[in-house]
Amino acid sequence: MSFLIPCPHCGNRSVYEFRFGGEVKQRPQPEAPAEEWMEYTYTKANESGVQKEWWFHRSGCRQWLQALRNTTTNEVVEAFFPE
Amino acid sequence: MADSTDTFTFQFNGQVVEARAGDTVASALYRAGRRIFTRSFKYHRPRGLLCMAGKCPNCMMNVDGTPNVRACITPARAGMRVKHQNAYPSLDRDLLSAVQRFDWLMPVGWYYKTMTHEWSWHAAEPYIRKVAGLGVAPEPGAGSKDYEHAWVHAEVAVIGGGPAGLQAALELGQGGAQVTLVDDQPELGGHLRYRKQAGRVPAELIAQLRSLPGVEIISRAYCFGLYEGNLLGVLQASPHAGVIERLIHLRAKRVVVATGAYEVPFTFENNDLPGVMLSTAVQRLIHLHGIKPGHRAVIVANGTQGDEVAADLREAGVEVVTRLAPDQVVAGVGSSHITAVRAKDGEFACDLLVLCGQRVPDAGLLNQAGGKLAWNEERGAFLPVDLPAGVSAAGEVTGAWLVRAATLPPENVPFDKRSFVCLCSDVSTADLRDGIREGFDHIETLKRYTTLTMGPCQGRMCQLAGIGVCAHETGRSMGETGVTTSRPPNPSVSLGALAGPRHHPTRRTPMHYAHDESGAVWMDMGEWKRPRYYRTASCSSERACVEEEYRAVRERLGLIDVSTLGKLDVKGRDAGKLLDKVYTNRFSDLKPGRVRYSVLCDEAGIMLDDGTISRLAEDHYFITTTTGNLDFVQQWLEWWLVGTGWDVHITNVTGGRAAVNLAGPQSRYVLNTLTECDLTTKAFPYMACREAEVAGVPSFLMRIGFVGETGWEIHFPAEFGEHLWNKLLEAGKAFDLRPFGIEAQRLLRLEKRHVIVGVDTDALSNPYESGMAWVAKLDKADFIGRNALSRLAQAAPQQNLVGFVMNEDALPQDGAAILVDGALAGRVTSARYSPKNGKAVGLAWVVAKAADEGTEIHIRVDGGTARARIVSEAFYDPAGERLRM
Repeated sequence: MSFLIPCPHCGNRSVYEFRFGGEVKQRPQPEAPAEEWMEYTYTKANESGVQKEWWFHRSGCRQWLQALRNTTTNEVVEAFFPE
Repeated sequence: MADSTDTFTFQFNGQVVEARAGDTVASALYRAGRRIFTRSFKYHRPRGLLCMAGKCPNCMMNVDGTPNVRACITPARAGMRVKHQNAYPSLDRDLLSAVQRFDWLMPVGWYYKTMTHEWSWHAAEPYIRKVAGLGVAPEPGAGSKDYEHAWVHAEVAVIGGGPAGLQAALELGQGGAQVTLVDDQPELGGHLRYRKQAGRVPAELIAQLRSLPGVEIISRAYCFGLYEGNLLGVLQASPHAGVIERLIHLRAKRVVVATGAYEVPFTFENNDLPGVMLSTAVQRLIHLHGIKPGHRAVIVANGTQGDEVAADLREAGVEVVTRLAPDQVVAGVGSSHITAVRAKDGEFACDLLVLCGQRVPDAGLLNQAGGKLAWNEERGAFLPVDLPAGVSAAGEVTGAWLVRAATLPPENVPFDKRSFVCLCSDVSTADLRDGIREGFDHIETLKRYTTLTMGPCQGRMCQLAGIGVCAHETGRSMGETGVTTSRPPNPSVSLGALAGPRHHPTRRTPMHYAHDESGAVWMDMGEWKRPRYYRTASCSSERACVEEEYRAVRERLGLIDVSTLGKLDVKGRDAGKLLDKVYTNRFSDLKPGRVRYSVLCDEAGIMLDDGTISRLAEDHYFITTTTGNLDFVQQWLEWWLVGTGWDVHITNVTGGRAAVNLAGPQSRYVLNTLTECDLTTKAFPYMACREAEVAGVPSFLMRIGFVGETGWEIHFPAEFGEHLWNKLLEAGKAFDLRPFGIEAQRLLRLEKRHVIVGVDTDALSNPYESGMAWVAKLDKADFIGRNALSRLAQAAPQQNLVGFVMNEDALPQDGAAILVDGALAGRVTSARYSPKNGKAVGLAWVVAKAADEGTEIHIRVDGGTARARIVSEAFYDPAGERLRM
């Protein structure tokens, strides 16, 4: 694994500068049904293809960002700071 | 060319060997008369120089303690110590070569066939390890400083300094590109340096290249891997004095692979005898090192392919006895060196058998990058096709100019145990045939079953021949049989180079040297150095010292350096809101000047960290985290802040602040002498915090009690670390204050049943089962983990974190198993001898049914079991009165 992530602040950087934060998921409302919370807490889509992920630029700007990464090729299509 | 006037010496097995400038270890040894360089992996057959290019396994030696060094490409240096490997007592007389007489006992897949029981492997392993194998690993720590890492970025990386690589680098460089050229030889020029009939080294072109400002040339460096994102692993030998190897992480936008082609041997009986040499090896000996490689040579070549080396041999004064076509050769004759070659029409005496083998594209890097290899009948080799974007090939590696040296698959294969395909692990044609007949007829399964292509040469010498044998035996074509996959590292890389220089960052607290003066015995906690305990004149053992420190805190007072705590300054209008969302406890209603403890959970309700949070002002909080979790907690807080638009600023002040904990019944009297702050319980109660000067230092004081006594945690600017520490020691002298270390602190907190998150808890621990239900405020509308915790609050616990006291004099180790009625029922997380109880006490996870007060449990101690009972209250001051005095 040696792909690059185009950090919106620092530019193209080695993946080893980043901490992986998992898939981007929508956190349920506090009183949402248990199934929804279970799904959110324990299930991962593990997309074969492009998925939206959290990355933290640990050895750079130390900011959380989101990236669209193709899990089969490790190509990072886009990386951005979430709104 | 080796210079005969500039000589020096090195040692080989304790003997002095003379070398000339430009020599490699192997060329110097060859000139000195050595012909056997290694003994083979399995049968201990003598092996001599074959490729002279670092492609085969035949010359691996121990150089200055580093095993498996390829002598043929390692420059000789004055004073180096070279030793042979895998032979006893010597290379020339190796008693272990008796093994080859029993080769009939060692069929292909021997391990799978004989090691059918666990005991058979355990019984055989020590002997196998002695007899088989390669070099001996150096002692741990030896030479670990002799490697280094470097990072290089290039627009274009050109791999290979032969004619194609030079041309590519020059054109790119002249076009203004920033180019890094990697070449594995000491000088540029590739095969033109030793193939004198093929052309001259283009000196003008090299000079032109060197003059270009954007071109960097890395010599004596081979590329062992082409990874994702065009990251190249490059290993450079002896980049400068004192460093054996430098691992270069080379990142390029584009890669041009110009690695050329290498020659591989033919397969026939005894094709591994010393004296059997590839034509390019012969040319290297002659033209790079000025060595006459033998006296009488037989050349094996297809048609006119032997002309070039024949001319070189004659020029060097070697008699060329005859030339044979590859299919004419029957066997090599000789025991420790070739003495003759047996051909179909007679035997020819010789001391050198020169093989003009097939030239194979060195396409491993292209294959790793995702390129395919396709069989090309005309060239007699697998050629790279379908290269991925950003990677291109130039020169012989593309297959251009390659000529077929023999028919593949071969019409006839000599199936016997002495026709070697794989030299690394002694795999013969007979082994391959047997493997195929046993059902491993796919090239990839055949590889794994026979270990073909899996040795140190990574298939360079054997891949093509192995595919040929497989195709022949299965009746398939070369293309149908296909190639095995190339994976990095190829060729092999020393572990020392991957590990790099020993570089462990160490953090020292501002009071580090003051601890040294007090006799600190150090321990590592993550990057930090912390005093484990202090050795003084009054105590001789660790246990005695720790007990003295313990008594000081319980009876008088002690002082501990807690600067390693993670410290976060949290400011902003919405700071309370963020802490309410992330921590389980409530902070928005915390009054300024108060401290509250909390844990941090994930969405599954698992405890991630704990710490204290103080409120300094309406919009200002101060958080402490556990020593190792600072980065995680800061990132966690910032993560949950993303996208909220809340006004919160989190600043890591860990390095900027020192902290101490002054604790013990007399701490108030001592602290009073150094501060104006009113320390009475009425003015400064338990779980309160104040800003005040201590010994003239602006400080932040928290009245908390991890160790269970009245005490203050004092945070202050790091630059006053030693000053305040010494002032406190001085002020405490009259009360016999003792600095105390981690061990005493762990014992003190254990008596109080205070949990250390990450020591007493793990990735399955929630606050309820850990006995900390109070810390989860489920009446908050929302916080991270609330949903899971509200379910856990209702659920029956599976296991509980409980305290226990031993019933007898035994001290369980952390992690010891707990038995109830003979069945495994839990494990100890912390246990220490408690002076207060006169027995060991501890914390443990036990199954819920064994968690009740008074339950008798058995704990594994020293191979037996010892009795203990569950205690639900703290072992010391359960009401917490001493904290509030």
